[in-house]
Amino acid sequence: MTVEGGVQYSKIAEIKGPLVIVDDVENAAFDELVEIETKDGERRLGKVLEVGNGKAIVQVFEGTTGLSISGTNAKFVGKVMEMPVSKEVLGRVFDGLGRPKDGLPDPIADKFIDINGEPMNPEQREYPKDFIQTGVSVIDGMITLVRGQKLPIFSGSGMSHNLLAAQIARQASVVGTQDDFAVVFAAIGVQFSEAEYFKRSLEESGALKRSVLFLNLADDPAIERIITPRVALTVAEYLAFDLGMHVLVILTDMTNYAEALREISAAREEVPGRKGYPGYLYTDLSTIYERAGKLNGRKGSVTQVPILSMPSDDITHPIPDLTGYITEGQIVLGRDLFRQGVYPPVNILMSLSRLMKDGIGEGSTREDHGEISNQNYDAYSRAQEVRALAGIVGKAGLTEIDLKYMDVGDVFEKEFLTQATDENRTIDETLSILWKVVSQLPKNELTKVKDKFVDKYYQEK
Amino acid sequence: MASNTALEKTIDKILTQTEKDILSNIQSALTESQQTLDNAVPRLQQEYDKILSDGRKEAEKIEKQIIGSSDLEARNKQLMSLEEAVDKVFTQALEQIANTDRSGNYANLINSLLDESTKILGTTNVSVLTNSKDKDVVQSELSKFPGAELSSETISCLGGVIIKSKDGAMTFDNTIDARIERLKPLIRKDIATKFGVGK
Repeated sequence: MTVEGGVQYSKIAEIKGPLVIVDDVENAAFDELVEIETKDGERRLGKVLEVGNGKAIVQVFEGTTGLSISGTNAKFVGKVMEMPVSKEVLGRVFDGLGRPKDGLPDPIADKFIDINGEPMNPEQREYPKDFIQTGVSVIDGMITLVRGQKLPIFSGSGMSHNLLAAQIARQASVVGTQDDFAVVFAAIGVQFSEAEYFKRSLEESGALKRSVLFLNLADDPAIERIITPRVALTVAEYLAFDLGMHVLVILTDMTNYAEALREISAAREEVPGRKGYPGYLYTDLSTIYERAGKLNGRKGSVTQVPILSMPSDDITHPIPDLTGYITEGQIVLGRDLFRQGVYPPVNILMSLSRLMKDGIGEGSTREDHGEISNQNYDAYSRAQEVRALAGIVGKAGLTEIDLKYMDVGDVFEKEFLTQATDENRTIDETLSILWKVVSQLPKNELTKVKDKFVDKYYQEK
Repeated sequence: MASNTALEKTIDKILTQTEKDILSNIQSALTESQQTLDNAVPRLQQEYDKILSDGRKEAEKIEKQIIGSSDLEARNKQLMSLEEAVDKVFTQALEQIANTDRSGNYANLINSLLDESTKILGTTNVSVLTNSKDKDVVQSELSKFPGAELSSETISCLGGVIIKSKDGAMTFDNTIDARIERLKPLIRKDIATKFGVGK
């Protein structure tokens, strides 16, 4: 923050989509913050996308609706966009650009941090291996989230990803440590009712005290969505690496972010890539996702759960496809399970947490966690095959053991997968249900778990 | 008479047998009930434990909700009071600045504001706007900036200058108001620290 302000230019050459092109500009810098002042004195924020030949292309976050070439001024502020941060941001609600939305004053800043963040030195990264309990059985038991991981949820239009996101935000905790835990929740392009649900849900559960909410609504200018995840991650990094907290960042819905990016790209007349998204979509997404992690010698961590709705449930769509290359696994919500009324409708056969193996087991969760999870994966997969077979030959054509596997499938979905939205299960409860599921089978079918665990945890009828 | 005795014997036999059966049935029912009762005890215990554990969880949840919302409410009230106090300090400080004596060092301040502004715009060929109080001081300092002219138009501000390139394309606001506005977040922090917040 400097006392010197910036120069205001009044020669607007062109307004194109979310972009304003300013003429005769000297000394503007890439990414520099710009204040656009309308004829009526209204101020909007923007940033410099390109400079050169005396011109500057400015991306206006709050949209260009109502702007005209004459009477509009662009003030180049002389700094990049910064987010004021302090511990006081906890329990606060901000809009998509980081301005208070809860009727309270701006937080008294401890620091002003560039929202683009600083890249983590790969050499300084610490391998994530500490368990985060979400209280959601299917995640804790079979797609375990660890501190510093980036684990996206791939959902589809209309599915219950927002309920799941709010439940994770309310319930998530670190077990076995007294370290502080915080949740940074960024809603990107969500409906008003959804934003209210997130806010109320955190308020009513008492979790708002340890949370920071950034709400960019569907009727807010699309361009603001480019900033929302960045301000959220800036706050998360401060809480994690300056204050030593373990921070879980939930970003929903990243599809809206990518669409805003496409809008800007189209306005800049860039050569479109797959489905019209810019060719640099992968690079851009990585500047967000790679801000998760742990650093050597630092106490805190940033864990990311970005949520994206796959257009037409298409997992090969560029957004989930490119996200999958960057993140460390994925939680996939299944349309069939959702239609059956299963909540959370997680399709475990398509889901995976690549870092799970290092965050579970003795000392983290429980000695049998890895093996019982594999056994359930195996049994549920077999149950699906048997169900398909039953669809052809009928139940009468199945063997006794096949019928037992069908029972496994039913118990798995009804008792393990299905969970109330306010039900917070401990890891022991989750593992106990996993044992109950495979206890539908005779002991000799449990080939993925050691005998000593079978003797200890198998639930005889 | 003989047939009567035989009948009585038969009846006795039936009665004895029936009594035996009934007693045996009662005994087995008793054993069965005992068994059912024995089996129900651990189930009941489990149910009892579950109800207790659910109740405990619910109580913890409600406790968290109450503590969380009261903490937030208290914190928010504190924030509002702090903001009010900071605003009061600001208002008084601005009043003092507005009534600053324009003699003495004030001319140096105007000179440095003009110098900074012309350097940022890259030219001294500018039009300078100021408030009515500062007009004389600004006019006397302008002689050091060739090409600079004082505009007849006055602006409303605490002090300082706004300079514009002659073609009107570039403007630089170097009024005291603008400088305070730019530094407001830092000043707020300093004031809050004086109140013991954020130390």
